[in-house]
Amino acid sequence: MPINARLSPRSSSRALRLGGLLLLLLLATLVVASFLGSEHLPVFDLNEQQRSIFYDIRLPRILLGACVGASLAVAGAGLQALLRNPLAEPYLLGVSNGAALGTMLAFVFFDRFDAARPLMAFGGAALASFAVYQMAKSRAGMNVERLVLSGVIATTFLSSIIVFLTTLLDAAKVRSFTFWLLGDLSQATKNGFYISLAAVTIATLVLTWQARALNLMMVGERDALDFGVEVNRVRWIVFGSASLVVGAAVAASGSVGYVGLIVPHIVRMSAGSDNRFVIPFSAIAGAIFVVFADTIARTLIAPRELPVGAVTALVGAPMFIYLLKKQ
Amino acid sequence: MNCHGLRLDFKASDHGTHVKTLTAVVLIFLILCFDGCRGRGAEGVKAVETREVTDDLGRKVSLPVKITRVVSLAPSLTENIFAVGAGDRLVGDTTYCNYPEEAKYVQKVGDTITPNLETIVALKPDVVFVSTASQLESFKNVLEQNHIAVYVTNPNSLDSVLSDLRTLGDLLGTLDRTSELLNEMQERLSGVSEGVQGEKPVLVFVQISKEPLFTIGKGSFLTELVGKAGGRSVTSDVTGGYPKLSKETALALNPEVIILSDSEDNREPNEVFRNSPAVKNGRVYRVNADLLSRPGPRLVDALEQIARDLHPEKF
Repeated sequence: MPINARLSPRSSSRALRLGGLLLLLLLATLVVASFLGSEHLPVFDLNEQQRSIFYDIRLPRILLGACVGASLAVAGAGLQALLRNPLAEPYLLGVSNGAALGTMLAFVFFDRFDAARPLMAFGGAALASFAVYQMAKSRAGMNVERLVLSGVIATTFLSSIIVFLTTLLDAAKVRSFTFWLLGDLSQATKNGFYISLAAVTIATLVLTWQARALNLMMVGERDALDFGVEVNRVRWIVFGSASLVVGAAVAASGSVGYVGLIVPHIVRMSAGSDNRFVIPFSAIAGAIFVVFADTIARTLIAPRELPVGAVTALVGAPMFIYLLKKQ
Repeated sequence: MNCHGLRLDFKASDHGTHVKTLTAVVLIFLILCFDGCRGRGAEGVKAVETREVTDDLGRKVSLPVKITRVVSLAPSLTENIFAVGAGDRLVGDTTYCNYPEEAKYVQKVGDTITPNLETIVALKPDVVFVSTASQLESFKNVLEQNHIAVYVTNPNSLDSVLSDLRTLGDLLGTLDRTSELLNEMQERLSGVSEGVQGEKPVLVFVQISKEPLFTIGKGSFLTELVGKAGGRSVTSDVTGGYPKLSKETALALNPEVIILSDSEDNREPNEVFRNSPAVKNGRVYRVNADLLSRPGPRLVDALEQIARDLHPEKF
């Protein structure tokens, strides 16, 4: 990861212009996505059924997609900065799988309660983060390598529990669950959207507020300590925020991959590595990316649907390779 | 069964230190071989008369003329084997096989997707019946090396259910019982088609899963079944067998009747149907998921039930 925390007024005004551009692009993506779907809707004079299609199904789904994208990207941006590791993202660190396991348990045992999924997803994500954090701690303190290693171990361990539980489910549930595991926004509800929106707003604000500390920590934790950064506290805040958004995102849409990994990288390629910009811009770019991918998932083989997670990976990987080579 | 352990024995004697271990290994191998040869029985190996048949995938399969031990890897196949009167020869089936009652007490060899090959081989079946091509690749080689034939049968229409039952009866030598069964099924099928004749087809949505919303498409035999029951599936144009359907499209379908494949998380119609004629007029019906998902003799039960639900005044 390029470490370039120097800030000149010129670069920050350039970054602000980029932010404005991203916001416009997000708005455009949302508008275009609203016009596309498996049903063709007129622009004006919608009848009752068409209004229901637009307001009950299409719009909540698009908005939830935006929140999920923003959540995953902002979690990825925060974790990458904290761990100074370009591979860091919710999946690698066990946070996503913790949320997935929590949701799965809610799905199996508390299917009747709507609130169970987001709560248990957040619980799972938080527990996984805590466990990873504890595993990574040693007498000599904590280092990034140990943290990444613990994350990988937690991820694989949690996936094996998920696989094990899947074999115990009955066949009908396995199908819905596997589809959900691939990342699926079709179960979007207005409530799911409100929960996600609240979570991502809080997390983006908190992480942006910690951006200066993260900038210093990117140079080195020793230096950050010298500058008076409470490194441990920042770690907890980043992991906590990541758990919050990832829990909300996974409960609403399953495991949408690739967003947390590539979006922050793409943002850094164009905006530099100042976290005061990388974090909020990642949120906006993540929203654009997932709304775009989900529009493809909704329309490509309409009236059938693809899981959005398949599209994010399918579009994300080549896009990332292209940008990496171009750089 | 070839006992090629002997040859290994000669090679081993050149090397000094490994001789002991190798001799031990070879000895065990020999014992196992002889044991295997004896177990198989002198008449068992040479006296088996076989015939060549073609399965539903067009593969040539060599089967014993007299099949005495059968393993089924799908609940529909288990039902079919019992229905043609060969249930007593079923020595292994899957954990999903729950009908008829006797099927539950047959030795389980795992589930449809991950059967245990060791268990299957140990049961020494003449033939293993499987329902999908995807199952085949993973274990065909192992089974064939153990002289166990693999036969694929995968009916995808009412007609092919009937013809596959006949083939099964032929393979298992129970043609008399099978003819009876087929006649009875034919009779009930005509009963239904007479009943719904001239009736206006009812628009039907078949909901396989509520969330995510799965339904039946062009490729499913249920689309045909709904048609035969005097209905028309509103998703009959959708490609695939069991597609996940866009909710926008679903909301615009306006079905008159919704049929739920009855399972724990599919007890009511999806939210998007709340203003559909089906829900407003209370015309939502549940059909046992096993009846709908297994192409076998009980498909006629499903047909009769759906026809009754669609045209209650006629039955």
